[in-house]
Parts: sequence; structure tokens; C-alpha cells
Amino acid sequence: MLKNLMLRFTPSLAAAALVATACQDSTPLTSVAHKPNFWAGPPPACVTGKWTGGGRIDPPSNADLQDETSGGQPPRYSDGLSPMNGKVTFGFNVFLGSDDNGNCVVNKGEIQVNWHPGKVSWHVSIHDGVDAYDGRPVLASTFADNSGGFCVVVGIPETFMTARVNPQGGTELTQFEGCDNDRGEPQNSRSDAMRWRSMHFGDTGLTFLTGGNIVEHGS
Amino acid sequence: MNRMSMLWVNRVVAPALVVGLTTGLAAAGVAQSVGGQAYGTYVNTPTGFSTRSPLAVLPAISGTDGAEADAQGSTLNIAGALSSEFLSSTTSGELGTLEAGAQSTASAASVNILNGLITADEVVANVMSSRTASTAVSNADGSTFTNLVVAGVPVTSGDAAVAPNTNISLPGVGYVVLNEQLPAGDGVTSSGLTVNMIHVYLQSLVGGVLDPLTGKVVGGSLQTTGEIIVGSATSNASM
Repeated sequence: MLKNLMLRFTPSLAAAALVATACQDSTPLTSVAHKPNFWAGPPPACVTGKWTGGGRIDPPSNADLQDETSGGQPPRYSDGLSPMNGKVTFGFNVFLGSDDNGNCVVNKGEIQVNWHPGKVSWHVSIHDGVDAYDGRPVLASTFADNSGGFCVVVGIPETFMTARVNPQGGTELTQFEGCDNDRGEPQNSRSDAMRWRSMHFGDTGLTFLTGGNIVEHGS
Repeated sequence: MNRMSMLWVNRVVAPALVVGLTTGLAAAGVAQSVGGQAYGTYVNTPTGFSTRSPLAVLPAISGTDGAEADAQGSTLNIAGALSSEFLSSTTSGELGTLEAGAQSTASAASVNILNGLITADEVVANVMSSRTASTAVSNADGSTFTNLVVAGVPVTSGDAAVAPNTNISLPGVGYVVLNEQLPAGDGVTSSGLTVNMIHVYLQSLVGGVLDPLTGKVVGGSLQTTGEIIVGSATSNASM
């Protein structure tokens, strides 16, 4: 199922990518694409609708380990990704739909993520169903987590999604996950959660928000 | 030099998406609204001016739609007043059938105000507002200062919050309000919040008379003659 479809970064590839990043300035960050193995089984579940949110996480504090692997997501730091710790701020808005094959796709969306310790920013822009930075569709999945929340992953394998990276000025493959844990009842005891995975800079792990909000609106 | 980029997105939804929404807030037939804004810095002093930048403003949202806007700046330097880098502003909002809300974040790193009078490694302003069927709330959770120093006195060590509306006098200059919070709304059908993480009020004595015997100014009043803001985020939601 989905777990088997996860794009796997090998440590060696990750190391090579890091070296490449360190040696370049304004050249694109996109390295040799990790080709997906295959798309096996049915497409991931998709509840079409709208998601919006923003705020801040501070990994590794407030990790949502209990729910991190829900929906077939890999545990943190797997796939050769290094920890992306420290202050991360973000804002996003995505509209999900289904394509002709029943795949869950992003019809339009914008995602902004800032990793403050590294002074790195990413932006994903999706219009008319394609990623503005690589022209490909962006696949997504939605699922209930282990604790009653509801989550969206944008940029699932086999494609991930391409983000513009500043200040480097290049692009790289990334993945966003947001979980609406309070389900329309803000300020309850369980805050929403967010995860960001970057091929070159690492993985925040699924982390409860220090502040902010994530909302799933349905169709 | 300022180098900013601005992205505005997701403004319009087809009217057809709105038709047929019959539950939750939308069913009440009331007008919902959300708003958001964020900017890293603002300078308006007798010797220097810089508009709100990088500025992200939530576009108008109608129906059951959502939007995100963001802006970034690499560096800002207003001589003698303010320097900063890695400036980022993001705001997003949505009108939904069960919840309407907005959230905004502004940040600035390597902050230096008035030639070192106030410094911070980083400032983050973070606000959210939410309106559901039962309540309307806002908060500034996640708003912090990293290694903030005011007039040579450390205020935070590491990354930490400061009590809302902390007022510190700056003799000969004016005063600064840290984590300035300006709430709005009734908390039932509407809620909003602006947080200005560092708000310097420059003040001068106006209208006094010089006493020739003492050489001191007598009378007059302190008036605000300028201001500097670092890290400002606003959100609101109402129906």
C-alpha cells in the first residue's frame, strides 16, 4: 500500500545531495531524481476539500510520535533525511480534488515554509493542477490519524513536489503534512500538527504547533 | 538594500462551489469574514522611513474559500534606526462551513534598533483567530524573542516569550512596548488580535518653556514623534 510506495532516500544519496547543496550557490537544488518504484494497489484515500493553516513548530520539541506514521507516513529521519530542528514557521492553502484515475491531487495551492536556524525558505505554488516549478501534478492523501485528528499529506510519493528554495534560488523535492486535530474546536488540549520534509535539509517530524492553526474545511 | 518578493494567491472560487452549502456557519446565512496581515518591520522617525515590509496581506475571501499570501526580504537597513535580515511574513485564512479563521506570522532576524539600543537574534510574531459555531477566539501563542536585549539589559535568554504589553522606558528616547497586543472583537461572534513584538515610541518634549534661571524646560508634554515596529502580525475572524 502507501507505505510501500514511499520514496526512499538512501543515506548515500542524501549525503551526495548535501555535498551538492554545500557546493552550489544559485544553481538549482534539484538533484538526480529518485525514481519511484511503482504505483501499486489502489490510489490513496482522498477526501476532497480545502485546507488552510499557518503558524509555528519547534522540532524536536512537541513531537507527535503517536500519529507520525498514520496514513503510511514514514517515521521521522527515515529515508536518509537528517533532523530539521529549530524554529519553523509556515502558511498554506490547498484545494484537493480527484483526477480521472481516482488519484487525490492538488488543484491549486500555496505553501510557504521558513526554517529559521538555516535561514532557508521554501515556496510551493500549484495552479491548474500542476506544480509551478516542475509542471507536474502534485499528489496528496488524506487520512485519520491515531488520535482522532485528520491529516493531509501534499506531495506524496511517487512525485513529492517541487519547491522553490530561497535564498539559494533553486528548487528541490519536498513534502508537507498538516493535521487538523481540534476539528473546528480551537484551544482544546490537543493542538494541530505539521511536518515538512526536504530532500536537502531534512525532516521536522510530525510536530504539534507551538502556535497557529490548521483547518480542514471539507468540500 | 531591500530585496523582496511577493506572492499573492488563491483569490476566487467559482460561485458554484458556494451553492449548496447548507450546514454550519454558512447555513446561518450570515456574512463571515476573515482578515490577516503580517510584516517584518516599519520605521517612521524624523530621520528615516521605511514602509511596512515585507508585507503580506490576506486577499479578500468570499464564499467558502481560502487564501495564503507571503512575502520575504533578505535584509533591511535604515541607517541609525533599524537593521535586520531574513525577514518573512505569511498570512492565511479561510471561510469554512464549520470554522472560519486566519493566522499570520512575521519574523525578523539579527535585529538592531537605534544603534544597538535594542537587539535580538530573532523575533517571531504569531497570531491566530478562529470563529466556530460556539465561540470566537484569538491568541498569540508562538510569539517569542530570541536573546532580546534592551538598553544593555538582557530580557530573554534563548527563545522565550515576554508578558503581553511589557513597557520599558528608554530615557532620552521614549519607551518600548514588547509583545504589544491589541485585541479586537467581542469574543462571541468575532475576534481579532494584532501583536507587535517590538514597538518603539520615540518621544520629544513639546511646548515647554526654557527657564533662564535653571536652564531647564518647564511645562510642555511628551509627544510621540516617531515609531519603529519589528514583527507585526494581525488576524481576525467574524460572522
